[in-house]
Amino acid sequence: MQFSSDSADRQFCRGRFSHANGALFGAISSAKHYNYISLRRPNLPILENIQNLAINQVRVREVKLKIFLIVILSVSFSCHQLRAADKQQDLAIRAGKIWTVTDGVIADGVIIIKDGKIDAVGKDPRIPGKARALDMQDKSVMPGLIDAHSHLGLSLDIFGEIDETVLPVTPDMRILDAFNPLCHDVKKALSSGVTTMLIAPGHRNPIAGQAAIVKLHGGDWLLKRSAGVKFSVGNEALMSDREPTSRSGLMSLIREELDNGKEYGRSEFDPRREVLKSVVEGKMPVYIYCNTLDEITAAREIIDEYNLKAVLVGVREGDEAVQAINCPVIYMPLLSLSRDKDLKRVSAIADVGIKLAFASFAPGTDPYDLRTSAIIAVKYGLDPEVALKSLTINAAEILGIHQRVGSIEKGKDADLVILSGDPLELTSGVEMVIINGEIVYQRGGQ
Amino acid sequence: VVIRSIFVLFLLSFCILASASGAENIAIRAGTVLTISGDSIENGIILIEDGKIKAIGQDVNIPEDARVIDASGKFAMPGLIDACSLLYVIEGELNESRSIAPELNILDAVDPFIDEYEEVLAQGVTSVYVAPGSRSLLGGRGAVLKLKGGKTPAEMLLKGDVAVKAAIGVSSNNQSSSLTRLEHYASIREAFIEAQAYMQQKRKYEQELAEYEKKKKEEEEKKKDEEKKDEGNKEKPKRPTKPKSNPTYEILIKVLAKEIPLQIEAHRVDDILNALRLADEFGTRLILDKCTEGYMAADEIARRKVPVIVSPVSVSHTDMPKLEYRNHNAQNAAILSKGGVKVALGVSGRDGASSKFAALAAAMAVANGMDRDTALRSITLTPAEILGVAHRIGSLEAGKDADIVILNGHPFDTSARVEMVLIEGKTVYGSELK
Repeated sequence: MQFSSDSADRQFCRGRFSHANGALFGAISSAKHYNYISLRRPNLPILENIQNLAINQVRVREVKLKIFLIVILSVSFSCHQLRAADKQQDLAIRAGKIWTVTDGVIADGVIIIKDGKIDAVGKDPRIPGKARALDMQDKSVMPGLIDAHSHLGLSLDIFGEIDETVLPVTPDMRILDAFNPLCHDVKKALSSGVTTMLIAPGHRNPIAGQAAIVKLHGGDWLLKRSAGVKFSVGNEALMSDREPTSRSGLMSLIREELDNGKEYGRSEFDPRREVLKSVVEGKMPVYIYCNTLDEITAAREIIDEYNLKAVLVGVREGDEAVQAINCPVIYMPLLSLSRDKDLKRVSAIADVGIKLAFASFAPGTDPYDLRTSAIIAVKYGLDPEVALKSLTINAAEILGIHQRVGSIEKGKDADLVILSGDPLELTSGVEMVIINGEIVYQRGGQ
Repeated sequence: VVIRSIFVLFLLSFCILASASGAENIAIRAGTVLTISGDSIENGIILIEDGKIKAIGQDVNIPEDARVIDASGKFAMPGLIDACSLLYVIEGELNESRSIAPELNILDAVDPFIDEYEEVLAQGVTSVYVAPGSRSLLGGRGAVLKLKGGKTPAEMLLKGDVAVKAAIGVSSNNQSSSLTRLEHYASIREAFIEAQAYMQQKRKYEQELAEYEKKKKEEEEKKKDEEKKDEGNKEKPKRPTKPKSNPTYEILIKVLAKEIPLQIEAHRVDDILNALRLADEFGTRLILDKCTEGYMAADEIARRKVPVIVSPVSVSHTDMPKLEYRNHNAQNAAILSKGGVKVALGVSGRDGASSKFAALAAAMAVANGMDRDTALRSITLTPAEILGVAHRIGSLEAGKDADIVILNGHPFDTSARVEMVLIEGKTVYGSELK
């Protein structure tokens, strides 16, 4: 009990102190989290209750303060949104090539954007009178890129921590509490063409916390508050100064925690076990970071034992294991690799029918190079169509957000990238980025 | 019978020797020849003799004995150069603990048996520039190596003593304060001032020695007329004492005499300006290396006609995050070259095999605003010029080494594949084309 409120407090601290700009967002989410925990505490023994009363009074004041903050924020936010709605015009983009991803390439087509959504796509759709026309006849338009594993915006400084350094198991920790959408790196990444990303804790904890899916800009930036739990069976998760220190220790720790989750009843509240329960019930996906053959095999064993809904992240080695992977893969940024065998593996994975997505591991690599990763994969044997889908719709499907993003289709969010040439040519530069129908980046502009 | 068979064997071996000696002529017919130094030639012919380009053009006579490589419909271009490579060297072994160590030579760290080079070669890179790391302020001398295989560094060496590598304001372990930056600058400056003093001392000694030898000669001539009376100078000329030789300053005085350029790695714009100031003060030839924030001072760099090796084009090539790259801008190379700066591109990858991304780096520079031809030049002729090897490599011109890449498309196209690579007329990658 003490433990769980500890971790909640620490989480609160993270949101509050780790960065100045993000504090607002952190405060909102941790305040909610905090309320949630204190509401779910009815079964405390009386003694402990009295003990906690004093502390709670102090905390109630804090919560009040936070509620006050939330009110102020939401007022200013709605004002902002009003202005944003004002700014958000309907658009009619005439493009040389429209890479719909799900329905081929339309030459000399038009995309109509209304209220931040794609209203029509085609050769000659009816253009509403009040729509602003964008002439991109010598350019290509593709859906916004999806970075399937990133650590962007998690700290004010580029050397900030993305890993919990004391506790190895924190499934209740939510990375969203540390995310700062106003961070310099996030703004800079707007020019990369990435419009949606999964943000996750780092690779250094066996059960690190919950990932979130966000857009890089706009009023409606949060796609999934909790997109799944990040696991790591990589070497990075082995520490010399705390458990686990060995691979066997790592695997036994993960099994123990999952078993705990399995047996979790609701008689006493435990936020960690609660999350792990939904993991073993298959309600919440897991992202397992693993690289070498033994790590992939270990990950696969756990997936089978607990029947997890899993996605593998990394998969740097293990050509022998390609057949055994049998779940979607978020592959390492290719620019962090250099040997031919690593660069060719992407196509080997795709060849056995595994669904792929690319990732930047930002700030590990530049989000701009998400597209570069796909191009290198094509140079080393990946089918160009698969490469394009892996950057967009396949990534969306793996992350479970394909209803909203990932292709240029009527009804989907108007997240678009306008390029000076074909998407899979290195020489094509990003000319314009649109998120939720709003132009958020323009080359040569602001 | 025995004699006859010996004779046949002799003939046979003679034939084999003749064909293996590389003295044969080769003619490459290519759909498009990207000469880099001039306009590209459609349906061009490149004639190779003794590993050198003998002639190039549309109407080149192909000698009857020449072996013809038919690459019609394909692209031929000079072998690519990675101007910031870790090939053949191990990064951890590139940094001396001493901060002033220009006497070190990268060639002593070259391991010819690293097999990564074959993968790099397969992407059309035929030469690389390897230089010492950035931990030392004056870290040693770099060299241009060819990827032709070999068992000793000497076999691969195209040019040694290319430049003395220096570093200003490069942090160790991502920690840096303003004071350390000042100290870096001051220490390098001090080393050069001491080298100047050393040079003066050395010159003085040489002058004195010349004088001494002159006097000695006169004395000897006088001695010949010994019967004459022993009037005049009685004191014998004294041989000047030779100052102690110092390997550090021996190299630095070559830099001061402009024999070897100074290559300064600088990232922040203040460090770049300091590097320019340092070169001005001592009148050295300067090559700016990395030059991460160069785009902020493009005019200043252009005005002084200082060439720049921009690397990496994308920070993804390095182990991020690094303090130096905080203001990295992918448009750096484009802004510098448009501002009139001579720009070569380096991959600056994580390991030796990363050099294979040379063409990729140039294509990415194009995506970020660099002119297509300038970008192609920045991985061929421009680095050759900056590194002082343009008389041998970097373009397809008569008289230069026949380091040639044949591709089935333009090197910047995603679908283009390298089909064949020649170094000095020898096929080092790919098979004969049909």
